[in-house]
Formats: sequence, structure tokens, C-alpha cells
Amino acid sequence: MTVRHQPMIDEWYPVALASQLPPGGRATQLMGTPVLVVADDPIRVVTDDGRDLPVTLRYGHVWTSLGQPAKQLFDIPEADQPGRRLIEVGVVRVRCSPLRAVENFLDIAHFPFVHTDILGAEPHTEVGKYDVEIREKEDEVWATKVQFYQPQAAKSATGGITTDYMYRVPAPTSSVLYKTCPARPGEWDVITLFVQPLQEDLCDVWPWMALFDDETATTDLIHFQQMIFLQDRSILENQIPRLLPLDPGREIPTRADLTSVAYRRWLKRHQFTYGAQLVAQ
Amino acid sequence: MPVEMLRDWIPVALSADLPAATVLPAHTPSGILALWRSASGKLTALADRCPHRGMRLSYGFVRGEALSCIYHGWSYGQTGQCLRIPAHPELAPPGAIKAASYAVEERNGVIWIAFEPPEAPPPSLEGFQPVRSITVNMDAGAITPNGTVRTQLAGVDVLLIVAGIGDRETIAHVMVDAAASATDRIAVSNAVEGWRRTCEQLGLKELAS
Ligand code: FES
Ligand SMILES: [Fe+2]
Repeated sequence: MTVRHQPMIDEWYPVALASQLPPGGRATQLMGTPVLVVADDPIRVVTDDGRDLPVTLRYGHVWTSLGQPAKQLFDIPEADQPGRRLIEVGVVRVRCSPLRAVENFLDIAHFPFVHTDILGAEPHTEVGKYDVEIREKEDEVWATKVQFYQPQAAKSATGGITTDYMYRVPAPTSSVLYKTCPARPGEWDVITLFVQPLQEDLCDVWPWMALFDDETATTDLIHFQQMIFLQDRSILENQIPRLLPLDPGREIPTRADLTSVAYRRWLKRHQFTYGAQLVAQ
Repeated sequence: MPVEMLRDWIPVALSADLPAATVLPAHTPSGILALWRSASGKLTALADRCPHRGMRLSYGFVRGEALSCIYHGWSYGQTGQCLRIPAHPELAPPGAIKAASYAVEERNGVIWIAFEPPEAPPPSLEGFQPVRSITVNMDAGAITPNGTVRTQLAGVDVLLIVAGIGDRETIAHVMVDAAASATDRIAVSNAVEGWRRTCEQLGLKELAS
């Protein structure tokens, strides 16, 4: 791997679920480099040549970095809020760029077509105006005031509702989604997508949730989220090119895509280009 | 049949395999195209990449006279022009949003496409009727130098129209005499599996030698 990707090398990535680490550990890879997540106490992550990588345990996952992260792992304050159920969904492998996986997560316009009758349904396809910004102080991409009509927004929803969303990108391959909480109006359910970049066009996706929902069985919550993500996978594995084009011109965004536009711009600004396609290539 | 015709026109599918209001991935030596038939029966071949975010259009769906992308539902007409963006129902899509479209013609039950519009129509193959298509794991050039094979299968005269669709991958469209009986067609349809195996075994031998 070249220094070209140094800014992304210095970031944190999920490599395992701490609670489900087998005794023999998890042999995996990070940005093309083989690593072993060792089930010691405390958990370690080591490379083939015996180098110990930095480790953080947070949001149920083991996080590591091949470089030297300048910052701690991003904070999700809701994770510590009493009364929330923390749901570890598990892993889905996708043959796509880790950046494409995040971009898809930030997208609502596909709900009626990819998650038909669950997260969206025709004729309710319109995406209204919403706000997008790169918050300079936090250095994060935020989309707020996003609204969409959903036939069944969550496992605990029974009828169609207009759902409010906020999206947040605190790291190049992680995104946090806040959405209307059917069980507790006024609060937000938190659904995250933590993406482990295995290679530029291959990733392991680890969804994780912090919900107010005392009713639904955990397995049902997990199956619901997995079903949604498998629908996304059928898209993600058939986009051309596999890498995310960062320069304008290759793909055509509209107003509904402003979150994606901001995400791409933010990636480019930071030279987060592992999994990206640039014009020069 | 003049060889040039086969060079310009690429046989990609049989008409019977593409009913009204459906789309399929048409394999060609230069990659895949989204080949679709509108509800009224019109054929269109478009580049298999949605201009919005690159999703393969051959995964889409046909409604009326338009092909819609499965990702965000953008729909495209016969010229490849984007007609509708569901996220913005009031917006007339700008003319620049367009998928490349290619010449496509249907003759005697076979669908042909061409990347450059040829001067002559595709071969009519008069006197023949299509039976089925089959893919063979072998280079087209190793099967025949001129795109066609005349042979007998199950004692019936057949014409195979052959096009390479990739590295060691070829599609063959099987035609029989227009007067052939239903029994003959079934016999040929089965026998062509044997022809495929023979081709592939010969191909393997050549690779080994
Ligand atoms: S990628 Fe085709 S409509 Fe969005
Ligand atoms: Fe989705």
C-alpha cells in the first residue's frame, strides 16, 4: 500500500465484534494487510510480522488502525444513554468499495425501489429539501431535516409514517443515522454503519444499533436490519465502477444527492481515497 | 451469409427470450448492454450503466415505454434520454442525462445489436427458425472463423450463429430448418448440449497440447 492512502491508514476501523470473538481469534485484513484479532484479555490486534496495533473497544466492536490515529474514536453520546438497547447485528461481506457502502447508507431516494414496501413505496418517491453541511469544528458531514414517507420504518412500526432522519459521517467509513423513534417520540433511534475496508473493492459491513424498543425480540431486530442490508448489497455489487468516483463528471447528482456530494467533497478534501476513483487513474 | 454482416451485427438473443416489458443483459465481445422491450414491443439497447450512480440498467424494470433503473428509479426512453427522476417528480430531466444507445434489430426471431450503425440490415436467415441459445466455454474463433457453423444434430440440419462474449466464452444461437417439426426441435435442443461438451473437450485438448 502506498503513502497515497496515509490519511486513511491513520483512521480507526472495526475488525470484530468483541462479544463474538472466537477463542482462536479472528483472522481478517485491513486495507489489504492481514491482521489477527487475538482473544486475549485485553483483546489485541497484531499484524503478520508481529506488530501490535492500537486497539479501542467501543460500540460492541474492536477498533484498530494500521497507522497512528491523531484522534480518539468518534463519540456517539447516545450509546451511553440509559434505556437504550444496544444491538450487535453482525457482519455482511460486500464486494464493493467501502466508500460506496457508506454513500448508499446516506441515501434515501432508493428506499421505494430497493426496500420496497418497507422503507419506502411508490408513489411516495419525492425527496424534499434538506440541509447538508460539513461541520468545521467537529470535521464531520451532517445532513439534517431529512424527511421521508415510510410504510414500515422500523421493526416496531405498524403503519406508514413520515420519518425524520439525520445523517452523520464522523469517519471516512463510518456513518451514524438518527431516525424518528416510534416507541418514544422526541428521541432518536440510532443506527450505525461501521465499514471495515478489506480491500479497495471489498468490505465487511458491521451495522450496530442503539434503540428505544422494549418489545421486539433481538433476533427480529437483527433479521430486519440484515434483510435491509442484503437488499442494499444487491445494488452495491452491481455499480460500475466498483470504486467511488470522487471527481465530478462521472456520475450525475441531483438535489436529493446533496449528502453524497458533501461526503465525496469531504473525502477528497482529506485525501480519504482508499476505495475511490480519481480522474487521473 | 457475407462475413462482414456478422462482424457488424452481433447476435445477442432470441426474440422469444425477451417478452414485452422485460430487460436482459446482452453479452457482446465489448461488454454487456441492457437490452429491453417496451410494453408495445419496441426494442432498445442501452449502455449497462445508469448515468446517475452507475447501477447496471440490466437489473432494472420496464414500465410502459421506458426502462427504469432499480436503484433510484430514474427512467429512460428509446434514445437513452432520461425521462423521469422519481425523487423530483416535478423536474424535467436535463437533456445531458442520457444513457448511450445502440442500433438494435430483430429479424426472423433473432435480435442483433451493433455499436456503429451498419449500412445493411442483419442477415435474414430465411428458411430457418430459432430453437434456443447456449453458452460455450470456449473462444468463438476456436469454434468457427466466420461466425456460423453448419452441422447436423440428431439427424437434423442446423445453423449455429456464434458470437464471442468474453475470454473463453461464446454464445451460440441454434437455428433449424423452418419446416422442422416440434419433435425435431426438441431433439436438436437436447443434442446441442452434446455439441457444447464436444467443443469444450476439444478446446481443453488444444489448451493442453
Ligand atoms: S443509479 Fe440509476 S437511478 Fe440512481
Ligand atoms: Fe438501503
